[in-house]
Amino acid sequence: MAIQPLAAATLPISSPRKPLLAVIPARNEGGTVVEVIYGVMNAIEGDVLVVSDASDDDTARLAREAGARVIELPCRLGAWGATQTGMRYARRHGYRLVLTLDADGQHHAHELPALVAEQRRSRANVVIGTCSERLSAAKRVAWRYFHLLTGIGVQDFTSGLRVYDRRAIRVLASPQASLFDYQDLGVLMLLRRKGLTLHETPATMSPRRQGGSRVFSSWLMVARYMLHTTVLCFAQFETRRRRMRRIERAA
Amino acid sequence: MTAQITSGLISLLLAGAILYMVRRDHLHGSYALWWLAVAGAILVLGVFPPVIDWLGRVTGISYAPVLPITIGIGMILMRLLKMDVDRSRRERQIRRLTQKLAILEDELRELRHDAGNATQQGAAEMPRTAARR
Repeated sequence: MAIQPLAAATLPISSPRKPLLAVIPARNEGGTVVEVIYGVMNAIEGDVLVVSDASDDDTARLAREAGARVIELPCRLGAWGATQTGMRYARRHGYRLVLTLDADGQHHAHELPALVAEQRRSRANVVIGTCSERLSAAKRVAWRYFHLLTGIGVQDFTSGLRVYDRRAIRVLASPQASLFDYQDLGVLMLLRRKGLTLHETPATMSPRRQGGSRVFSSWLMVARYMLHTTVLCFAQFETRRRRMRRIERAA
Repeated sequence: MTAQITSGLISLLLAGAILYMVRRDHLHGSYALWWLAVAGAILVLGVFPPVIDWLGRVTGISYAPVLPITIGIGMILMRLLKMDVDRSRRERQIRRLTQKLAILEDELRELRHDAGNATQQGAAEMPRTAARR
């Protein structure tokens, strides 16, 4: 057998720029994941990646049979850990856009093209699909509080429906983003610190068919989450002037 | 038994245990150095308690015995903080390794799949090429 040139040996994947990767983090979502995959495949042009967060059920098998690319995490990393795996996959394979959505079927696939188009139009690094009707009282209170604390004007900061461009993918695939637990404020704060732009666009969402919100399931959880995120805000805190100066320096 | 013998025995026991662990190579690099220093300090203070009184006079603390306790607790806190920093770093590493492992596993799966297809094709083509010869 002929010896392969080194470049071919070290780069097993041919990486022409691929347009879009839909990342679906899933943990025990066997009941809905297939429908979600078909929905995405019918709605948009691009590859579908399901990251199974150490699922105990047959999520991975069903997703694979439905035609999605499936990555199975050997131990549980949480919603963000799974999503970041998708980011790293996208970076490794040279995707230009990453679209994330939940595997529980609460996001409507037919709205995805509009979300991607909104990213093209606004040229924002991150586009967040916000469902304003779904915002519960707890979320509204939390939003006011975090808006005061961080100045980030995003309403639905826990929305899993987002589009990230290449710059955002690069930031979020980095080790710096590896200690977050949810795809929420911590992620947004990091992106803003790196000088990336956030944009929100309305989206409709159906109520979850299985399980409740991981973050806002009870007031005790909300309290815990608020405390946790406050600490995160403290760690990431930076005055507006300092941020502008840093961004100017980088530019 | 005098107080000096008691404290001397205790310090010998502690320092001995530490030295044993370091010798057995149970501690990694900088940790071993830290613990050797701790063992040294315990030995000096335990066997020669007057050192504490001298330290008290030097630092102006009237009740000298409180000095090693305060410093000791301070150092324990520092150590705990360092441990949590290390644990966070490790958590980050473990998460990234887990992700990388899963991504590589996926690539391996694809390569195997491709290789499987290739050998199947090869097997199917074999009789034809043999017949042509």
